[in-house]
Amino acid sequence: MSFDHFLHWLADTQFSSVMRDSLWAEPLFETIHVLTLTVFLGFTLFLDLRMLDVVMRGKPIGRMFEQMNPYLFGGFIVMIVTGILLFSADPVSFWATIFFKLKMIMLALALVNVLVFNYTLGNRMGEWDGKPSTPTGVKVTGLVSMILWICVVAAGRGIAYALPPP
Amino acid sequence: MQAIEVALLHFCEWCNASFFGTGIRDSVWLFPFVEIFHLLALAVLGACVIIINLSLVRVGFRGDRTSMLRQELRPWIIGTLAIMLVSGFLLFSTEAVKCYGNWAFQLKMLFLLLAAVFTFAVQLRVAKQEDPSSAARWSVAVISTLLWLGVGLGGRAIGYVTTAATAVNP
Repeated sequence: MSFDHFLHWLADTQFSSVMRDSLWAEPLFETIHVLTLTVFLGFTLFLDLRMLDVVMRGKPIGRMFEQMNPYLFGGFIVMIVTGILLFSADPVSFWATIFFKLKMIMLALALVNVLVFNYTLGNRMGEWDGKPSTPTGVKVTGLVSMILWICVVAAGRGIAYALPPP
Repeated sequence: MQAIEVALLHFCEWCNASFFGTGIRDSVWLFPFVEIFHLLALAVLGACVIIINLSLVRVGFRGDRTSMLRQELRPWIIGTLAIMLVSGFLLFSTEAVKCYGNWAFQLKMLFLLLAAVFTFAVQLRVAKQEDPSSAARWSVAVISTLLWLGVGLGGRAIGYVTTAATAVNP
């Protein structure tokens, strides 16, 4: 089954038509999607700023990860679930916009950035955490993360304008 | 009271006709561009409020003193609130007269006023105290959350409430 087939199959499911025709589904899930930005994106940006030595310089990054991780995971799951629900209301139209594809690419790159950090510098946190200034690699990770997440938001806004009016 | 309403409506008409109101309205990309700033500032401001509230009720950020977090986050609250107010005003100015008659917008502004006053007059003061009582910590966190949620939900509702413009200044 090709990806196009999958999109049309999804659009034809009863689930998709409920999402599409329901009066409250789109406002509800979009509201949750937007308000969860405070937990997921807000916490992520603070971690990025900490990696860039802009905020909370006296606080070890390891402790910040420990404190924020449950909220980041929870927030991310809410973002993904509500995102999939919004997408499934009209998968063909979403996929047809350049902004949706851009958003998915930026999202994937942001996750790759997290993975690369976890298996490299994040693995050796004890060697550099707590020093007066974070290593260049950590700053680069923070900066790349910030730029990518801002692009995810920007592309997400773009989708709303590129979709055909309901 | 009626004089205030007339003045407000005049102000909205002026916004609608201003160079930024018309400029953003007539541009294809300026409105979403300003919206992105509004959303990014929302994320950071919301995170600040949530971090302080989690710390107040000692559910999260338990390794840190609330007063320390408050001191670190206060400039970010002020800065992002300023970005939200400026970007919000610009978005508002593109359809100010419509907003004037929109109950969701009115509700949002009421909650915004209450939330901002509560944040600076109460939340940040209690967060500064060495050892506030459990009742104070919990009530501040709950009230703060409800007020900001009111702002957010009111904001989301604006687009779904359709209003007939009371005056139009093309």
